[in-house]
Amino acid sequence: MSRRHRVSLALAAGFLALLYAAAFGAGFLAPYGFDEQDREHSYAPPVRLRFRDGAGRLHLRPFIHRWVERPGVPGVYAEDVTRAFPVRFFVRTPLGRPRLFGVDAPARLYLLGTDRFGRDQLSRLLYGARISLFSGLLAAILAVGLGLLAGAAAGFRGGWLDQVLMRTSELFLALPWLYLLLAVRAVLPLDLAPSGSFLLLVAVLGAVGWARPARLVRGAVLSARGRDYVLAAQGFGASELYVLRRHVLPQAVGVALTQLALLVPQYVLAEVALSFLGLGVAEPVPSWGTMLAELERYEVLTSYRWLLWPAVLLTGVVLSYHTLAEHIRERLQAGEV
Amino acid sequence: MRYAAARLGYGFLLLAGVSILSFLLADLSPGDAAAEMRLNPRISPGAVAALRVRYGLDRPLPVRYVRWLRSVASGELGWSVAYGAPVGPLLWRRAGNTLVLAVTAMALAWLVAVPAGVWAAARQGSWVDRLGLAASAVLLAVSELVLALLGLAVAARTGLLPAGGMASLDYDALGGWERARDLAAHLALPAVVLALSAFPVVLRHVRAAVAEALESPFVQAARGHGIPRRRLLWRHALPAAAKPLVSLLGLSIAGLLSGSVLVEVVLSWPGLGPLLLQAILARDLHVVVGAILLSSVFLVLGNLVADLLLYWVDPRVRGA
Amino acid sequence: MLLAAGLVALAGCGSPAGKPAAEAAKAGGEARRGGRLVAALGSEPRTFNPVTAVDAASLGVIQAMTANLVHIDRQDQEARPALAESWKVDDGGRRYTLVLRPGLRFSDGHPATADDVVFSFQVYLDEKVQSPQRDLLIVGGQPIQVRKVDDRTVEFRLAAPYGVAERLFDGFAILPRHLLAQAYQAGTLASAWGIDTPPAKLAGLGPFRLRERRAGERLVLERNPFYWKRDAAGAPLPYLDELVFLTVPNADAQALRFQAGELDVADRLSAESFDRLSRDAARRGLRLVDAGPGLDLNFLFFNQNDLAGRPLPALRRRQEWFRQTAFRQAVSAAIDRDALVRVVYRGRATPLNSHETPGSHWLDKALPPPRQAPEEARRLLRGAGFSWDAAGALRDRAGEPVGFTLLVVAGNAERGPMATLIQEDLRKLGMDVRIAALELQAVLDRLFTSYDYDACVLGLDGGDADPNPSMSILLSDGSHHFWRLTHGPLAPWETEVDHLLKAQLAERDPAQRRRLYDRVQEIVMEQRPLIALVTPKVLVGARAALGNLRPAVLDDHLLWNVEELYWRRQR
Repeated sequence: MSRRHRVSLALAAGFLALLYAAAFGAGFLAPYGFDEQDREHSYAPPVRLRFRDGAGRLHLRPFIHRWVERPGVPGVYAEDVTRAFPVRFFVRTPLGRPRLFGVDAPARLYLLGTDRFGRDQLSRLLYGARISLFSGLLAAILAVGLGLLAGAAAGFRGGWLDQVLMRTSELFLALPWLYLLLAVRAVLPLDLAPSGSFLLLVAVLGAVGWARPARLVRGAVLSARGRDYVLAAQGFGASELYVLRRHVLPQAVGVALTQLALLVPQYVLAEVALSFLGLGVAEPVPSWGTMLAELERYEVLTSYRWLLWPAVLLTGVVLSYHTLAEHIRERLQAGEV
Repeated sequence: MRYAAARLGYGFLLLAGVSILSFLLADLSPGDAAAEMRLNPRISPGAVAALRVRYGLDRPLPVRYVRWLRSVASGELGWSVAYGAPVGPLLWRRAGNTLVLAVTAMALAWLVAVPAGVWAAARQGSWVDRLGLAASAVLLAVSELVLALLGLAVAARTGLLPAGGMASLDYDALGGWERARDLAAHLALPAVVLALSAFPVVLRHVRAAVAEALESPFVQAARGHGIPRRRLLWRHALPAAAKPLVSLLGLSIAGLLSGSVLVEVVLSWPGLGPLLLQAILARDLHVVVGAILLSSVFLVLGNLVADLLLYWVDPRVRGA
Repeated sequence: MLLAAGLVALAGCGSPAGKPAAEAAKAGGEARRGGRLVAALGSEPRTFNPVTAVDAASLGVIQAMTANLVHIDRQDQEARPALAESWKVDDGGRRYTLVLRPGLRFSDGHPATADDVVFSFQVYLDEKVQSPQRDLLIVGGQPIQVRKVDDRTVEFRLAAPYGVAERLFDGFAILPRHLLAQAYQAGTLASAWGIDTPPAKLAGLGPFRLRERRAGERLVLERNPFYWKRDAAGAPLPYLDELVFLTVPNADAQALRFQAGELDVADRLSAESFDRLSRDAARRGLRLVDAGPGLDLNFLFFNQNDLAGRPLPALRRRQEWFRQTAFRQAVSAAIDRDALVRVVYRGRATPLNSHETPGSHWLDKALPPPRQAPEEARRLLRGAGFSWDAAGALRDRAGEPVGFTLLVVAGNAERGPMATLIQEDLRKLGMDVRIAALELQAVLDRLFTSYDYDACVLGLDGGDADPNPSMSILLSDGSHHFWRLTHGPLAPWETEVDHLLKAQLAERDPAQRRRLYDRVQEIVMEQRPLIALVTPKVLVGARAALGNLRPAVLDDHLLWNVEELYWRRQR
């Protein structure tokens, strides 16, 4: 493995590890609760961390000024430079919860700005990662896993099994699943607990999504089976299982991993559509999907740039998963697994 | 020949299955095409009930299905409650418009993504490769809707392209060439947005497949024989990688009619998208089933193309 | 034959301009004449049939192609002569005699007479056709009787006096008998005039007629040469040559295409778009108008349906709270309506205390403005036996924690955020509110069929500047009495509301009618069966060069006087 490879792998793994850790530690890392509204600060931009005060003195401890809405101009904020609020570490909330950092009231530390309700975006990103990072990955694994099984079986066995599986996959690709989801929603109680809707999300996305990867895996398996060396191996009397494991699966896994890296972000976004049906996470609980959905309003997309953060993080996640997938594929092909 | 006949038979079975299951699923979900009117305080429940009776929405499921079948047999393709008109004429023109858009976008995406993917595979780990991956990651992380809105913003601010629609108001007064130019100008924005959202998927699959082919023994052997790099890539590695990509092409064809809904809605493209979205929400079932069936025809077609291509690329698959 | 009739009519149109005064006026009219106006529709119209149309897009287009007997001026909300040049009322408000203008012609040149009027009302009243507007023509439990007196005179007989009087005739487009009688006889009138109808088969008495339709994309309407209306100087209307409706489904796209100059007018702008467009309106030659509070109503209500026999025990338990007036009053007092106005509408809305909005002349001006009063809410709850535990959670008399689910239509840019704000307001009161955002049909199913919900935030748009259309909401057996569609015995105040509403329906003295309806509003505000929240302001935009633009709070905000709109020449 080249050095450059190692660096990118470490970067990717590090980034993901950090994110997952942050998601776990959201209760401590996030300066505010995900549902704390501050209606006087709707769409407030990120606060500016300052080290130099008005007199030109340097401070080791950064401080901020409060955002104050310009009178008569709703939604436009200016710093109130008359008071400085130093950033403090290991603070406690009014309810006694420990937090990593914060500032004294009445100022609020909006490091990444606020949303429409004046909720701290950083806090919502961290709490939202809990749901989105896991649901996206789990659903993708479920879909690709099922797809890998079906596709490998169809491609390798061929014959009637292939026909049945492929025709079923066509049916799955064609059906209006929306209606089934609506029906499911109608049966469920009105108030779904976040954990319940989370599991439902994963199950639905995974179960409905197997057809696409299955067809792609089948293509790869067919292609691998046709290779001279595979035919040769079979000619030498290698067992079916051996051929499958040694020559065919590695190829299929390559396709599957590519699909996996592609599906994770798609599933995070798909959650938006499910929220629309009442199957996603409900307000005020955040998820990256619902935060990204905010971008689908022109005004937010063009005027409140700080709300692009979920997209930035999701891009990082996509790249990291891709790097990991590449790495696994290479190892597989080198026969190390 | 027998193979084609069998596929045709499967195709019909699929359509039948899809239509039956669509009716069933829609029946399970709450609401029907008349329910939408219930919220309007100026419409009496009597009028809503009368509408139900008129369109037979109050009848049991099998009866409704048979009615629909009869309507399909007569070429109407069902009856839209919202429009009070047969579904067929509603769909044809719009499906044509969607195809124009989707085929352009698909061609655009594949024409750019295949060379880019091959190139990236040949230079894995280089900055070009990384840049390509990063760009595709960004495209994956924003939804199609956001891309469309951004495109719209650019068009509206610069005024270089029309910000929606399919034809200028003076289209009918234009000459042949000007019409083509007008269509191209209107097509540019939605096609690029749609192509951008398809691009990362194709790019990544091409890159992975070619990379894998480059590792395979026979390409390695060819390399050992001193075949030039360019020739190695395009004449040996790409054909070897083609087979898994053929399945992806099949899926792309399958999604031609159904993949552009949101882009059409935002960019006011007069395709199936806005009609379908409205019909789904309003439970205008026959319109939905009609669109799904049309879409399924492309699914069957796409898979047929994929299988035939696989067969053509590699006759040994015949046994499968 | 038809063509010949058209030619004759055309010649007839040009003839009155004989006098010198009219000559000069005509020159003024000519100066305004010409041009094309491009407007947007949120969806493709579904039909051209005035009898069955219900969706906004179809109604918008039909409005430009048809005319009514009497027209309500959308700006001052008064009745004006339209096809009927005059009318008289007698028999104690039971008989209306309308006299049509002379020389009326449909847009295909065919003369319009009393026969067409009688035919139209026959169609609207026919039970088999089931026009959604039919109920409006049932007065005193019986359908209105329509009779032709002579070619220009029609008589309407009502079974009981009717307070709305001639306003009644505003909502009914007069249909061409020569084109539709056949479909009516064949029983296919309801599906006649679908959107695929060739323009030659359509005709109306409106300022424009259809010329071309491109499926899913646009409709092109052209000037109706037979239009009856003339401007003050006697020049024929409309001024515009063409009226184009583009289908632009996305609201952001509408605003952007208006900004880019592809649309000449923009209706129902969001506050965000309105503010953005206002910033450089002058440079772009746009005029943006905040026409003030509209008639849209956003409200919250609790499920008070009678659930006997339904397997919803937990809900029935919660209904014990919902049925308490103090509970509903407390919820209303706890809601920060100013925050709804600020956060949801960027300040471009008005908080409400009544189901009548300030956009309507019927709002009881004596009602106090709404104000958030958390202390008052707590006092009310305490008085009703509720209490707070150590963690600050509200508990009822039996010690049960108070919490409920707030139903809202998913994907709605207004009600969704409202629910989030209300949730927070009520959390501060100790109530555990969860939001359930469902797609519209699922919401309707719960509201009208299963009654399986706790509370709901709903919006009703449009409305009319008259109490009668909201009667189906307020009457205890009204079809849209959302909160209590099934009920047992009525409370005294409910009986009183019923009584007042029925009395105002028959009352012909406007002042007395207002007094009756004011009392209804007082009771509803006191009892809060529906908790009115806010109404957005009507935000519209148009090219500054568009003359005679008179934005109104009633639908259609911009194009209601489309026949008078014209392009100012920039010279």
